Order: sequence, then C-alpha cells, then structure tokens
Amino acid sequence: MNAVTDHAKSSRAGIQSENVLQRMWRQRADYLYVLPAIVVMLVVIAYPVYYTIELSFFKTPPGLQLRDKVFIGVDNYSAILSSEVFWRVTLNTVIWTLASTLIAFVLGFGAALALHRDFFGRGVLRAILIIPWVISAVAASYIWKWIYHSDFGIIGIVLVQLGIVDRPPNFIDSVGTVLPSLIVVNIWREFPFAMIMLMAGLQTVPDQLLRAAQVDGASAWQRFWHVTFPYLSGVSTVTILLLAVANFNSFIIPWIMTGGGPSNASHIWITHIYELAFGRQRWGVAAAYSVLLFIIVMTLGYFYVRALSGNERKENRA
Amino acid sequence: MTSISNNQAPRSRRRIDGWRWTGRIFLVLMLMYTALPMIWMLLTSIKSGFAAMQFPPQWWPSEPTLASYQKLLDPQNSVGQDFLRFFWNSLFVSVCTTVLAVFVAVPAAYAFSRFTFPGRQFLFFAVLLRNMFPAVIFLVPLFILMRVLGLVNTHGSLILTYLTFGLPLAIWLLKGFYDNIPIQLEQAARIDGATRFQAFLLIVMPLSVPGIIATAIYSFIGAWNEYIYAATFITKNEQLTLPVGIQRFFSENTTDFPGLMAASFMMSVPVVVLFLLLQRYFVRALTEGAVKH
Repeated sequence: MNAVTDHAKSSRAGIQSENVLQRMWRQRADYLYVLPAIVVMLVVIAYPVYYTIELSFFKTPPGLQLRDKVFIGVDNYSAILSSEVFWRVTLNTVIWTLASTLIAFVLGFGAALALHRDFFGRGVLRAILIIPWVISAVAASYIWKWIYHSDFGIIGIVLVQLGIVDRPPNFIDSVGTVLPSLIVVNIWREFPFAMIMLMAGLQTVPDQLLRAAQVDGASAWQRFWHVTFPYLSGVSTVTILLLAVANFNSFIIPWIMTGGGPSNASHIWITHIYELAFGRQRWGVAAAYSVLLFIIVMTLGYFYVRALSGNERKENRA
Repeated sequence: MTSISNNQAPRSRRRIDGWRWTGRIFLVLMLMYTALPMIWMLLTSIKSGFAAMQFPPQWWPSEPTLASYQKLLDPQNSVGQDFLRFFWNSLFVSVCTTVLAVFVAVPAAYAFSRFTFPGRQFLFFAVLLRNMFPAVIFLVPLFILMRVLGLVNTHGSLILTYLTFGLPLAIWLLKGFYDNIPIQLEQAARIDGATRFQAFLLIVMPLSVPGIIATAIYSFIGAWNEYIYAATFITKNEQLTLPVGIQRFFSENTTDFPGLMAASFMMSVPVVVLFLLLQRYFVRALTEGAVKH
C-alpha cells in the first residue's frame, strides 16, 4: 500500500519539474557506475531467460541440434502436468524446501541466541559452527555419503553396536529414508547461514530496552518474545526467504549423494530438470519445467522484494 | 552480583539459569552435529583403505598414515597430477572471479547507495532478483551462448558465469557499507575541489575496504565451491575445477574412501582458512549491509 502511494507521489513530483527522460539525460553519468553490472547481467541473465521461454514451446531433437526444433505450442507443459513423476517430484520439493528451511532457521536462531552472551571460547565455537556453510557442498555430500554408507557407515554401525537395530539401515538407498537423510545433510550445511544472519540481527536489539524490561520484572521468555523477537522480524523474514529460495534451487546434495534415486524418491525439481536436459536430452520439456519453476521463484521473489523494501521503509521512518 | 538482588531475585535467577543451561546443552548438541562429521572425515583420511572398511570400525586408526595425502600431492603419479591441476584451475578461476567481481560491484554499489537516477530502485531489485534464479534455468542457454562465444572448455566461461551469481550479493553487501559512510565526507572533498570520481576513489574507497574484503571472500568461496556450471561447461580433464574433478575421481575409485576424504579435506582447507582469517569482516558486512538494510 505504502509503496504504491510513495511511488505515485514521486512520479507526480517528477512530472511537475521535468520528465523522466530529461532526468535520465541529466543524470546520464550516474549510469556509468552501474553499466558494467547491468551489461554482465543482461548478457548472462536476460538472454537465457528469453531463450528458455522460447525453447519451452518447441519439440527438440537430442544433441542440441536446435536448428531442427519444431514448434508444438504448449504440448510440453501439458505433458509435464499430466505426468506422475511431476507430482512425485513436486511433493519431494515441497517437503525438502519446507523442512530444510524451517529446521535450519530454528537451529540457527537457537545457536545465535545461545552464542549472543559472551563466554569463554565463544569465538572458537562460532567459527566451528560456521565451517559447514563454508566448505563445498560436494565435499559435504561425500562426507555424509561415507557416514551413511550401507556397510561401513558410522551411524549404522553405532546403531548396531548399541543394539538398536540388527543390521545397518540403508539411509540413502531406501525409498522411505532417503529424503529425510538428505535433509539432515542440507540442514547441516545451511543452519550456519541463519545463525550468522540472526547473530548480526541480535546486535541491533538495544541493550537498554532489554534491561528496562528486566527491571520491570519481565521473565527471560517475556523479554525474548516482546523485545528481542519483534526486533528480529525483518531479519527473520529475509533469512527465511533466502533459505527457502536456496533450498528450492538446491542441486548438489541430492545429485551427488543419490542422483535422485532410488526410484525418484529424492528427485527434486532441479535435479529432475537437470536429468531431463543433460541426461535424457529432452531440452524442450526441461525448458518448460524451468519456466514453471521460474514462475514459482518469481512469486517468492515478489515477497522477498516486499520484505526488503518493507525493512527499508521502516528504517526511513525511524 | 547477588548482593544487588531484591526479594524477587532468587526465583528469576533460577529461571535465567534454566535458560542458560538449555542454551549450553543446545550448543553442545550443535557442536556435535557440526563437528563429528568433519572429525570422521579427518580420521578416515588418515586410515588405509583396508582399515577404513573394517567391522567393528577402528575409531582411532591403529596405523595412521598420510598415504592418501601423499598420493594426492605427488606430482609423479597420475592421481597427484590431476589433483594438483584441478586445484590450480580452481584457484585461477576463483581469483579471477573475485578480482572482477570487486571491480564491477564497487561502482555499482556506490551508485545504488548515492545517486538518485531514475530506475535506480528497479535496477537494484533486478540485480537482487538474480539471486532467486535457479542455475538450471541458465544452463542450456548459457551453454549455447558459451558455444557461440567459443568459451566452452575454457575458464573464461566459468569466470563470466560466476561473476553474475556473485554480483548481486556483492552489490547488496557493499551498498550497506556505502550507506553507512557519511556523505559529508565526500561533500567536504568536493568543496576542496575534488571531482565526484576523485571523492569516490580517494575518500570512499579506503573507508569501504572491510566491505570489499567481505565481498571478495564471498565471491571467492562461491566460485571455489561451484559445481553445476563447471560440470556442464567443462568436459576436458585438463580444465576441470576441484568439485567436478573430485566427482570424476570418485566415480573411478568408488571404494577409496580415505582418498576421497583426504581430497574433500584439502578442497575445504583454502576456503575455511580464508573465512576464519577474515570472518569478522564478513559478519560485520552482513550486520551493516543485510540486516540494517
């Protein structure tokens, strides 16, 4: 609402003094500063987006001989929406994205709160907790693949030695456990990001306010819920959205660890699209998938921009 | 401390302690979750292939050996040659990406922070939205683009691509830094006769060094760890970067877990060291850029 009125106000002001083209010309030197960024973006973003949309309406021969493509309208889209795999993969993607995002956020939030107070060894502990986020997802995938190994995986062996199970469970080779097992790996890599963001956010909570609340007799929980948490709502929104998008777009962990198997149980959208394109060479269908994905991501992106500009407005008002 | 407590204090103190203990236990659990897999990686990497596959497992290797590391770092044998080449390729691509990203992001972030040209808001969000696109959307078209530009199987294709996915966050972080540098400094310089560009170069740039370092770390880590474009654009063995190279290595030696763990460890060392050395800049940049934004 606010954005609309702001916008209307500013454009009205623009019309009164000089029109947009005049302003653009007067401030043409300003564009030189952003030009390099914009040129790179245009070449590597605008063109691919246009190209993907175009390709999604064509039947394509394998081997990327794209001159031989045939226009088939929306057939690719109807083929996708009527296929069983699509719904399976979509369900996996929803579970993967929601579970990873929420659990990573909660763990990161908890770690940030626990690390907020100074204690001996805090710096070292924080550094250790951040490491999984820094190392390559490929390395992380192999480390966990070894931990989950069906014969020599350490978790399975420990479970057997404790007498909980008779023989090591197949974490990533069975349909029922593969997705949760991969989500554990994903969270391992992602909660540090939420932790860093919220640690940064916690520094913006004014100490006086917390102390004032304490003097007024607020319990630790009340102080958290009524003072700390409202201050973190902006950071939390941005963090959750960034995590959600990253999870929705994740590829490496499922691809390296299982390749989408067994029987599609760990395929999410991105791995499925990748396999369609580069495995089965069905470029048109893969492009149509990408366009659908693009629409979903843009919807998320809309909320992201709104959350960001909401923060900015709040700050301007303050 | 306890002497200032009023009659309410004993109760609330105990409750605070309860929270503090919850926090401590939580941190210990998180530490285990984080560290145990990495410790197991290290322990496995100093075992022999035979020792790694024993039941019951050797928690601590009975005969620790650095054989896996020696193999990977030995330029005499083929595994070592490959690994060192991949390592060098990764380093080259990451450094080039980082330097270019800083050169492109600094002026752009400065403009987004200071100037009010029409379309500024739109362009800024367009840049940010790039973050939201999945890599897969760009794979096929970029592959074709790279073929047209003749960049397939060159490091140029990777540098150009990494530049774009590193830029949005780089610009965003840096903009937060510039927002916090008082504009009066530049105004003073302008009054003293500096041009706008001189004020930018001589006054603002030095003040934003921490932001530039944070941006550089971010770009470097992103480029070093990238997998999907590298796997698609590069097919020649001599040009592979580490993440793809290690995957190829593993698909040929499926049971050499000590070697794989050693390779994973060595791949992680540069980015982890870099990050640990410079993390305060990074956390500060997030505080000033992303959070206060």
